[in-house]
Amino acid sequence: MCSLRLYPAQLQHTMSQRSERRGIHVDQSELLCKKGCGYYGNAAWQGLCSKCWREEYQRARQRQIQEDWALAEKLQREEDAAAYASSHGSQATPRSQTSQTPPSLAPFSKFEEKKTNEKTRKVTTVKKFFSPSSRAAPKKDSHEAKSHSPSFPRQLSVDSERVSREFVEFLKNLQKPGREIHKQSRLFIESMAMKKDLGADELSECVQDFYQNMSDRLMSHFKGSSEKVERVMDQVEKYIMTRLYKSVFCPETTDDEKKDLATQHRIRALHWVTIQMLCVPMDEENPEVADSVVKAITDVIEMDSRRVPRDKLACITSCSKHIFNAIRVTKGEPASADDFLPALIYIVLKANPPRLHSNIQYITRFCTPSRLMAGEDGYYFTNLCCAVAFIEKLDAQSLNLSPEDFERHMCGQVSPRGPGEAAPWPHAGPALSQLRRNLELLSSLETRQQQVMDGAHSLQAELSSWQESVGREVQEILEKYPLEIKPHASAIDADNADSDLLPPPLQPQVFAG
Amino acid sequence: MASAKNKSFSFKVVMLGEGCVGKTSIVLRYCENKFYAKHMTTLQASFFTKKLSISGSRVNLAIWDTAGQERFHALGPIYYRDSNGAVLIYDITDEESFQKVKSWVKELRRILGNEVCLCIVGNKTDLDKDRNVSSEDGERFADAVGAKHFETSAKLNTGIDELFLSLCKRMMEAAVVEEQARMNDEPCSGFARRTLQIMDNDAEETATVSSGSCCFSG
Repeated sequence: MCSLRLYPAQLQHTMSQRSERRGIHVDQSELLCKKGCGYYGNAAWQGLCSKCWREEYQRARQRQIQEDWALAEKLQREEDAAAYASSHGSQATPRSQTSQTPPSLAPFSKFEEKKTNEKTRKVTTVKKFFSPSSRAAPKKDSHEAKSHSPSFPRQLSVDSERVSREFVEFLKNLQKPGREIHKQSRLFIESMAMKKDLGADELSECVQDFYQNMSDRLMSHFKGSSEKVERVMDQVEKYIMTRLYKSVFCPETTDDEKKDLATQHRIRALHWVTIQMLCVPMDEENPEVADSVVKAITDVIEMDSRRVPRDKLACITSCSKHIFNAIRVTKGEPASADDFLPALIYIVLKANPPRLHSNIQYITRFCTPSRLMAGEDGYYFTNLCCAVAFIEKLDAQSLNLSPEDFERHMCGQVSPRGPGEAAPWPHAGPALSQLRRNLELLSSLETRQQQVMDGAHSLQAELSSWQESVGREVQEILEKYPLEIKPHASAIDADNADSDLLPPPLQPQVFAG
Repeated sequence: MASAKNKSFSFKVVMLGEGCVGKTSIVLRYCENKFYAKHMTTLQASFFTKKLSISGSRVNLAIWDTAGQERFHALGPIYYRDSNGAVLIYDITDEESFQKVKSWVKELRRILGNEVCLCIVGNKTDLDKDRNVSSEDGERFADAVGAKHFETSAKLNTGIDELFLSLCKRMMEAAVVEEQARMNDEPCSGFARRTLQIMDNDAEETATVSSGSCCFSG
């Protein structure tokens, strides 16, 4: 993310590392800041050094932030006006809505008090907004940042800014309840910033209570139209979780991170498990299946990069769909759960998705419950949980191996593939095998062509030899039976009727009657 | 059932049973009315939804197929967590699959308690000549554990609609009872994260949503 700042010393280090790794020849001058201040520049900062970049772009950003604040302020003013009006009894709706909220959610006490405190509160809000990210950052880094530019608070990430804008846009369509929702969500995020020291379960409890409350209130507002409630709740979830992501994903109070590493090691140790051991009905030789497998692996890895629980779930669903496609192509029929789970396990083993445990915990803790319980996404998510549980407990018996074989595999004494076909780049496996297949095909075509040519040659030879032999035979026969023309002798002498050779002439016979 | 009128229910039902007893076939027959999976048009045959209309209430059924192989047995609790009903299937020609169902029931009752509605189903009645588990045995066991017993044939399409209809009715009853208990016990705190969402139906959505082939009015 672009809010990460590097300073010359660090920068030099990373740049030199990068050029070494890539092995590209870059002139020293090209690495320097375009403004010519003598520090190194960075492509991510359009060739400027960190300082020049900040000077150049901070103005634009500041303007944007001010605009956002102006918008928020406007909303706040409108809100206050409405609240003020309602406190005087002229407009009852917003008040009645707010009065339902439990105390934990509604620190709005007296409106007069709020008005007077408006200015100071705003300042604290700014701090609260920025504090999670800056506190979460490594101490050394924040210290450096401070020493370099003490006046600059850490910026919101691009994601957070974008999602806030989108949220405001979406709520504009809802008018008055939209403002209420925005206010509640913002207050909630602020209150969560104070609760950073709580355990993960308590945090989850807070978020889930907030969801429940919000949806209850929306339900009464939309008079039970669950579709609309769902739509609004999706946006609320997106806004809240994008903003809270940094502080509640894999929180320090849990041992999620340790478990992530454990899972990762475990999957790495199980790299030798083959598709046959798991009895997965997928034929990876088939290019379409191989393609689906690659897509499924990509999707499950992609999950880690999403912030909103719903988006993470969507990655799992998309991964599952690719698996279903692979099974369908292989078996010719839709996959049942008996086929799907082993296939998913195989994909997880191949993908080794980053921070798998944390992601699962995060989704379980912060997803809207209805989605997780009964929906299709929930089904795939449950299968993923099953796959992880299976991988953690996997033993010789579950792969139909003898315990000795299993041990040998785990110690790396037995290579999963035959020694001949060990792929040097495991990730290029499908492409390589495709290449190999194509080469085989080509060489077989070549031999076949050779055969055809040979056949043609021999046919030609046969033909000419046949022609010769026929000619010779004809010649021989002609020589053996030379054509002799004898003088013509007539066979029957018509005048000599008495010849013995001829039958007697027919005599007319007379029959009586 | 009068109290269940004009409500909307969402239930999760898991299908449990050994591999090859016909879990998938029963769901397939129920939701797609097909026996051979090859004839199916959907991408997958492991998660199905079905909308029903029972006694004037709408029921959304989410049916979860589970992997039945022995090596996945330990994963059961992850699957049936938060489910309202479970269909336990055995093959009437296979005594062992019946024993397996018995162990599933024990486990389910231990983990989910008595709220979960159980159906015990002997499948493959079309192979009656090879029967190894008698109807009486099935019936007796089901009675003993508070479950309903059915015999079905996914191939011939017998007994399947009855099975799910009965299960739905029992789940609705359980949901209504639970709802009332919740109302009585804790009148204002509605934070319990329940699988079930019950909301009053609006007049505008009376008889419009109910998928064609499966309308029951009992």
